[in-house]
Amino acid sequence: MTVWRQAAFLLGFQLRDELRTGEVIAVVIPFGSIALLVIPMAVGIETTLLASIGPGMYWAVVLLFGVVVTQRRTATSNPSHRDALVLLGVDPAARFAATAAASALLLLLFEIGVGLVMIVLYDPVVAGWGWLALVLPLVAAGLAMLGTIAGSVTDGGGALAPLLVAPLAIPILLGAAQATEGLRLGTGILRWILVLALVDVVLALAGVLTARVLEESSR
Amino acid sequence: MKRPIEIAAAGTMLTALVAGLAVPPDAVQGDVQRIMYVHVPSAWLAYLAFGVTLIASVAHLRTRDLRWDRRAGASAEIGVVFTGLALATGMLWGKPVWGVWWTWDARLVLTAAMFFVYLAYLALRRATDDPVIRGKRSAVFGIVAALQIPVVHFSVVWWRSLHQPPTILRPGEPQIDPPLLFALLMAVTAFTVLYAALLRRRVELAEAEDALLTTARIEEPVAGSAVVGPLSRGEGA
Amino acid sequence: MPEDPIVAVEGIAVRRPGALILRDVSLQVLPGEAVGLFGANGSGKTTLLRVLATLTRPSSGGGTVLGAPLGTDAVERVRPRIALVAHDPALVANLTLGENLRLLALLAGRRVDDAARALEAVGLSGASGRRAAVCSNGMRRRAEFARVMLAEPDLLLLDEAHVGLDPAAGDLVARIVESVTGRGGGVVLVSHERERVGSLIDRSLTLADGRITEPGR
Repeated sequence: MTVWRQAAFLLGFQLRDELRTGEVIAVVIPFGSIALLVIPMAVGIETTLLASIGPGMYWAVVLLFGVVVTQRRTATSNPSHRDALVLLGVDPAARFAATAAASALLLLLFEIGVGLVMIVLYDPVVAGWGWLALVLPLVAAGLAMLGTIAGSVTDGGGALAPLLVAPLAIPILLGAAQATEGLRLGTGILRWILVLALVDVVLALAGVLTARVLEESSR
Repeated sequence: MKRPIEIAAAGTMLTALVAGLAVPPDAVQGDVQRIMYVHVPSAWLAYLAFGVTLIASVAHLRTRDLRWDRRAGASAEIGVVFTGLALATGMLWGKPVWGVWWTWDARLVLTAAMFFVYLAYLALRRATDDPVIRGKRSAVFGIVAALQIPVVHFSVVWWRSLHQPPTILRPGEPQIDPPLLFALLMAVTAFTVLYAALLRRRVELAEAEDALLTTARIEEPVAGSAVVGPLSRGEGA
Repeated sequence: MPEDPIVAVEGIAVRRPGALILRDVSLQVLPGEAVGLFGANGSGKTTLLRVLATLTRPSSGGGTVLGAPLGTDAVERVRPRIALVAHDPALVANLTLGENLRLLALLAGRRVDDAARALEAVGLSGASGRRAAVCSNGMRRRAEFARVMLAEPDLLLLDEAHVGLDPAAGDLVARIVESVTGRGGGVVLVSHERERVGSLIDRSLTLADGRITEPGR
């Protein structure tokens, strides 16, 4: 069985698992939304201020709170199940791909949910919906892969994974925020799209190449 | 018991200290500029230590030799100290020169980002007891971080190039007179020798720590012998 | 010509930081044999099973499992022929028993119907729509046996197989052990209950002080 098929099976069942807990929809989206709600309480509720900081705050919330999505319970299966998958000969790269893909889809959902909240609360000027439709998945994919690697390396260990993710996610944040700003100003954003794409490629390679080593290290 | 490298480190540091204090002050910034003799070598060491961590991480994954893992960890520890020193001296320099503790200069931001990556790497190492597992996980994170850092680098540089006003005084960039250059090079050399000496000591310490945990001792009791309780009939001790 | 042993390991030691789990374990399991492994709590039985399952690399010592030398990449070839039933069931809590088995069947290259049939064989066809999290321990155990049936292993490793099973289900363990040994495979059974297990095994080993002792057949 090819790695792709294994990954596809695992992805399907992971999503089914997540749909039942509903952790992302019921917990993380509200969590991100509350963050966007309290920020104006801290910085001021002037409409022009909020309109200008809205998109930036949104991306910061996506970055910092989105990590929670990648560390969800369903991403770290129980040790016995992992052992069973190892014995079945499931390729570690397939497990990485499936977990990262599931996280990416859930992050996309998170981005959309929290994005709607931001638009309502901050009333920013949003331009370039077409490009944004590209930026959102690129960000989701990058964060998902980074979070999955961090989760494997910390073996689901609390606050450590977010600490590992945050500094390395700077290019993702910059790419997203600068692209959004560039769309608003009507300047070129190609370089930022390239940054996001490059991050995704680097992390995909890193994740697949190190998957086997990380699997050994969890036993 | 001092080794040649440690004597060399002490000697070069002393020379650099004397040179740094003896050379004339900068024409524009005055004595404040002498912080550069600590700031620049610290920043250089931060990158050197990070590079050593990367090389050692790759070597560890290829050879599975724990010695490489210890070198990676030791280098990161030294690196985080000097990165912190670079940031602190940068701020101490910046306050009198720019009037603020922090500017969003690309290099400063990158140094700060690297500081946090190091901290995360060290936190990861502390979180794992088993040297073998620690080695693999740290090596993977070290390599992923090293692959990402160039992307972090030019994304930050591009970002700042959009907003940087052109007339900011950037310390370290203007022409530097020969005596000051000499003092600077002395400092860089001294710090590098110091790094080598510290690395060696720290690796030895790590070896001793791991040996305590992993050397099999014949007479050592098995973990299970700690369990005391009624044995079922037929099970001998 | 004598057949190659299913398991032939020597001098196995497993060390963790600050603790020696196994010191010097040597054991053999021949084709068609069911071996009982007994020992006090904390004696390292579970660790030994994991070494035999090729999931834990021994700190020293060596040997072969299903012909593959321990601690080498060759073990990947034989893993699909090994089944381990551990303390905790290998089930995803939020998926139903049916979904769990279907996932494992698909990953094993089997058909989805095979999963349903396996559940039926262990008496769980009525519960296949129930989430693993809300099933009793006994039911989860049975689901594990369904998983073993799907795998059709040549080496079966059972860790406290009888825990949580009612006496009627004890038959199930016997059936599974026999199905493996009948095919020429090997079984290693860890248990505390000598009485229940005695009839299933050909020989018993005791793990004490990090070593195996064999009180006899």
